[in-house]
Amino acid sequence: MSILYDEGQQAIATESRRVLEARTDKARLLGLIEQVGRHDEPFWQTAVEQGWTALAIPEQHGGLGLGLVELGLVAQACGAATAGAPFLTGSYGVAHALAAGIDPALAAEWLPRLASGDATGCVALAEGNAALPNLAAVTFADGRLSGTKRAVSGGLSAAVGLIWASCDGSPVLALADLAGAGRSAVDSYDNARLYADLEFAGTPARLVAKGDVAQALALDVLARLAVVTAHEQLGGAEALLHAARDFAVTRKAFGQPIGAFQSIKHRISEIYALVEIARANCIHAASSEGGEGFLLAAADARISATEAYDTASRDCVQIHGGIGVTWELGLHLHMRRARSLAVEQGNLLFWEDLLVSQLTGDKA
Amino acid sequence: MSDLEAYRAGARAFLEAMAPTYGRDARAGNSVEQDLALGRKYQALKYEAGFAGINWPREIGGQGLGHLEKITFDAEEMRFGMPTAFFSISLGMPVPILIRYGMGENREHSAWVKERVVKALRGEEIWCQLFSEPAGGSDLAGLRTRAEPDGNGWRMNGQKIWTSWAQYSDYGVIVVRTDPSVEKHKGLTYFWVDMKAKGVEVRPIKLAGGDNHVNEVFFDDVRLEDSQRMSPVGGGFGVALATLMIERYTATDSAGFGPHLDRFVKLAHEVEINGRPAIEDARVRSQIARNHAMRAGLDSITSRAFQMMMAGMEPGPEGSLQKLVSVRSRQKLSELALDLQGSAGLAFDPHGSVKDNWGASWLNAPTGRIAGGSDEVLLNTIAERVLGLPQDHRPDKGVPFNKIPA
Repeated sequence: MSILYDEGQQAIATESRRVLEARTDKARLLGLIEQVGRHDEPFWQTAVEQGWTALAIPEQHGGLGLGLVELGLVAQACGAATAGAPFLTGSYGVAHALAAGIDPALAAEWLPRLASGDATGCVALAEGNAALPNLAAVTFADGRLSGTKRAVSGGLSAAVGLIWASCDGSPVLALADLAGAGRSAVDSYDNARLYADLEFAGTPARLVAKGDVAQALALDVLARLAVVTAHEQLGGAEALLHAARDFAVTRKAFGQPIGAFQSIKHRISEIYALVEIARANCIHAASSEGGEGFLLAAADARISATEAYDTASRDCVQIHGGIGVTWELGLHLHMRRARSLAVEQGNLLFWEDLLVSQLTGDKA
Repeated sequence: MSDLEAYRAGARAFLEAMAPTYGRDARAGNSVEQDLALGRKYQALKYEAGFAGINWPREIGGQGLGHLEKITFDAEEMRFGMPTAFFSISLGMPVPILIRYGMGENREHSAWVKERVVKALRGEEIWCQLFSEPAGGSDLAGLRTRAEPDGNGWRMNGQKIWTSWAQYSDYGVIVVRTDPSVEKHKGLTYFWVDMKAKGVEVRPIKLAGGDNHVNEVFFDDVRLEDSQRMSPVGGGFGVALATLMIERYTATDSAGFGPHLDRFVKLAHEVEINGRPAIEDARVRSQIARNHAMRAGLDSITSRAFQMMMAGMEPGPEGSLQKLVSVRSRQKLSELALDLQGSAGLAFDPHGSVKDNWGASWLNAPTGRIAGGSDEVLLNTIAERVLGLPQDHRPDKGVPFNKIPA
């Protein structure tokens, strides 16, 4: 069962879109592409001012106590504007794990700071091309982490990191104060994501969960981040659908708008189909938060949103022709973001496998 | 339990009671004639139980309930494989249009209409829809069958094609050209026609999958009374569009009216690739996952449309994606299912159901991509009506029908 957005949710969608449209500046975003280590600071100030950092954090810890539906709507607005820094997802992942973890003191210490935007968090589950390795190479022993997590989204400036590690052959989730970790920036095609290699050499960290509980919690965090990211991808894909449509009705060739040619019309209709399927899956997944079918719904949302954003960015550029590949027009902001978001939170290969495992109960 | 859930439970209880006699398993191996006879019996029982004409007015023989009850029943019924196909066009479009446009200006035909409606609901009479022609399918307004004034009535000549169930039909609704000297969609008029009348000839067309449910219908000097006219003279295109719009939100099937994805997953467990179960093969897993995500999206679109209707809102245009997206992916998935079976998949059961036989699903899928709006027409409709893109270049626009270059 899916949902219809209520009035409050609709207001969040409208207001976040309005604010971001007013405050996002394409030239500023283009300027960030070639600079390593800088994010869109005006966006972050907006996120804090609008209360987006507090949205999905429990009220007892200074948050607004809302859920994935609301955070998803903000992420969708961010995606449409290619706005943003990765903290909205990362901080939410850390906050959710702490709230669900074994250490109430740790939650009490960090959740209010994450809610106020005073501190940001990142989530480091992946190693290599594995979104959630069975046994992490990063180790945790005697309250200390050792090893390296590569290209962690938001890792360059986050205050704390939720780290997937192993302890005597058993999985753990640990929270590291990143002041004690080595960080080196990754020069990426989407530098505003602040990718960093995090190096732990006996870095102090505190246990959030261990064993099967850690395994289940890590997957839950990953699925939640995937649903938020799917909304961001949906927002991007929808913005490209509109860009393609607007261009096709104004640009003329052979004596008519190019949108009168079926090769263009049908391409745009196909993007519409992908966007609407992704939207339906995103709404369903967000509204299934915490329910029995959540992982499956998250996989559906993630797969369809990835397909929608990748296809939309490919085809929207194609419809624009030459102008579409210029630096100045900036469609490559979406191309870059479509790819970085496709890789963060587990790629299609991961989610396809996970979906089938959920469906069959098999482990492949 | 909400009223609607109670209604659903009642529908399910009725269907479960009917299934042993009329359901998918009971029908296996039936000839078309046997299946039609079974279908007529089932339809009569549906009528008596109050599950026919669910959202039609009581005074005309319906149940006077809402659209939600109708699609709730249809969605439940679809799962049982009942013999309803013979009546789906009849009750889906021609009969509702008869109710709306066939009463006469002063409701002088209402008793006759009510008699037709009840007989159609009971499966005693079947109506067909005579729209497509050899020269006009997607281009409906391009049709050439003509009716000329003949005393106080009309004389009709021409040919229709792809008419579902015409060979079993008692009546049909038809759009014909009454004035070739005006723009093509302005010279059309809408009638009903007695399919047993003199000069009507029905010839079944065997389709690629082996079945004969569609027909060519020839009209040779067929007499129409003016009382059979259901639109103003020259106003037939509007009624034809109303016919196509009548059931915008019907029960849908994200499996594209082919096998459920569970059946594909089951097959992937049963067969092997390189000595391992096919379900472990990444190519197979990828297709399952992509299809699941697509179908889940369509199901959520349906679920939200339903909720919007319950809230008194008009569902969004995304409902129009269902057939386009689901049928073509069913076609590809059916190909893959046949591939997975290898040479064992070469055996073909000509009576296999498209809902559970991959060969039948594959071979009949093209029909689904063409009938009721081809993929291309649907993509154009989305582009123009939903996204506001311009119409195609149309050399026939503003030109009298008889001046359009042939």
